[in-house]
Amino acid sequence: MPSLRELESSFGRALLGEAQDALLDLIAADGLAPAARLRVYRNHVLVTLTDALKATYPVVCRLVDERFFRYAADRYIPAHPPAVPCLFEYGESFAEFLRAFGPCQHLEYLPDVARLEWAINRALHADDAPALDAARLVEVPADRIGGVTLALHPSVSFLSSPWPVDRIWRANQPDADPDATVSLDAGGAQIEVRRLGEDVVFRSLDAASYALRSALARGGSLEHAAEAAQRADPGVDLALTLQQLVADGIVTSIAAPSPATHEAGPW
Amino acid sequence: MIGHDDRVLAGATGAGIGLRTPHIAEFLATRPAVAFLEVHAENYMGGGPALAALERLRCEYPFSLHGVGLSLGGSDPLDARHLARLTSLVARLEPVFVSEHLAWSAVDGAYFNHLLPLPYDEESLDTMCSRVARAQEALGRRILVENPARYLRFRHSPIPEPAFLGELARRTGCGVLLDVNNVYVSCRNFEEDSHAYLDGLSADAVGEIHLAGHSTNDADGRTILIDDHGSRVAGPVWKLYAHALERCGPVPTLVEWDTNLPDLAVLLDEAATAQHYLDALRSRAGDAVAA
Repeated sequence: MPSLRELESSFGRALLGEAQDALLDLIAADGLAPAARLRVYRNHVLVTLTDALKATYPVVCRLVDERFFRYAADRYIPAHPPAVPCLFEYGESFAEFLRAFGPCQHLEYLPDVARLEWAINRALHADDAPALDAARLVEVPADRIGGVTLALHPSVSFLSSPWPVDRIWRANQPDADPDATVSLDAGGAQIEVRRLGEDVVFRSLDAASYALRSALARGGSLEHAAEAAQRADPGVDLALTLQQLVADGIVTSIAAPSPATHEAGPW
Repeated sequence: MIGHDDRVLAGATGAGIGLRTPHIAEFLATRPAVAFLEVHAENYMGGGPALAALERLRCEYPFSLHGVGLSLGGSDPLDARHLARLTSLVARLEPVFVSEHLAWSAVDGAYFNHLLPLPYDEESLDTMCSRVARAQEALGRRILVENPARYLRFRHSPIPEPAFLGELARRTGCGVLLDVNNVYVSCRNFEEDSHAYLDGLSADAVGEIHLAGHSTNDADGRTILIDDHGSRVAGPVWKLYAHALERCGPVPTLVEWDTNLPDLAVLLDEAATAQHYLDALRSRAGDAVAA
């Protein structure tokens, strides 16, 4: 009799599709082959994880059709089983998987549609956090403002694609006009996804706002983010771009410039 | 049970329903009369609208938190992040019951989102006991542990499941969440006597009962029942439920439905049936006292 650890490890590999002959000898037949009993568990795992992926990636599923989606999920799940117990956190790497998955490589926009759907899923379940009072920004002395970093709401993420993934997403909603078409030559998108109240929303940003906000989201200082905005659009009105950021209510905290303390004000 | 008034505590003695996301809006709009609500803890470990809806409902209904991801029978280290998230959800919702499973669901870092079977021996019992104890310590309260539906058993599994649960309850002080449908499904799958299973349980430890539908499937010419929570509670399961109530008393009972989710009214109807069984038992008990 193996240890519990050995038994579970072997059972786990069997669930992911590896042959585990020694495991079969440990299972009572009770009138049905042990392999068939094990299959009941394996099927359940595949079906529920496929359903979880479908719930997170409904547009991808619609674009490739359900049969192909299940085929892709059957390949994805054993290679990338969940690493956490909450299903809403499962499937982040599906976009990268699709990018490398031969049978759908002709759908070049598909991985970016998947990235958008992941961002939407992430926004829906992100932790709650109150917006920063704009007055806190005004308290920062002018000579230190460039060094501050701003934390954005946990639901916010940014996504840039050479494909019109926002239009593709909208054209594939249940209530969309079934005759609507999207031209793949319509140009790329720089998108901000966030939760607004209880809804998830996304929109295209202008080049400067996208550069500023995504630099902040990566943990860059305000000065660094402003430089990125200027590179993206040399004519940018920085004050206005910043004002819009604060007005959108997506900044949740502000951190002091000194790397030694990592503390927010007082200034 | 800290933080709940008498009404809420009293309410948790009847029949409730598992509240699933597609029903939440209708539930919020109509506020039907059910004794309590149960949700899967893992669906509420983020923020956003899901948790906000529960916050609105928890003032009016007693809540039960049912976990499916702690892998109490697992041999990977207990997931500290997950336990911390569960602890903070418990603090936020102040549920009347917190429950998990006599099963494992993760190994070598992979989570299978399924309740996987254990061999019932001393090593599994020690594993379950130490992890249930750790969970109860972290949560600062007693948990209920549910018997899973089983589709296979190990050759080496010398302890019968009801005795295993009884010993787990005795050693850790945890309670038992008796899933009557799972008892029926497992016993049918192994050609065992489901009434004898109930008679082997420590009735005092049972703190909650689950009811649900199951499906009948063919596997290589042999019938396998699967606990798919996708239909009404089957006739024989209601009979077994009546027997469980005779054994355990009028235990709070929850009807679960997860696949092919019906209209909320159907689920409420199932809960009303369970409530009839509970009321009948109470009135018989009242008659016996009067006599």
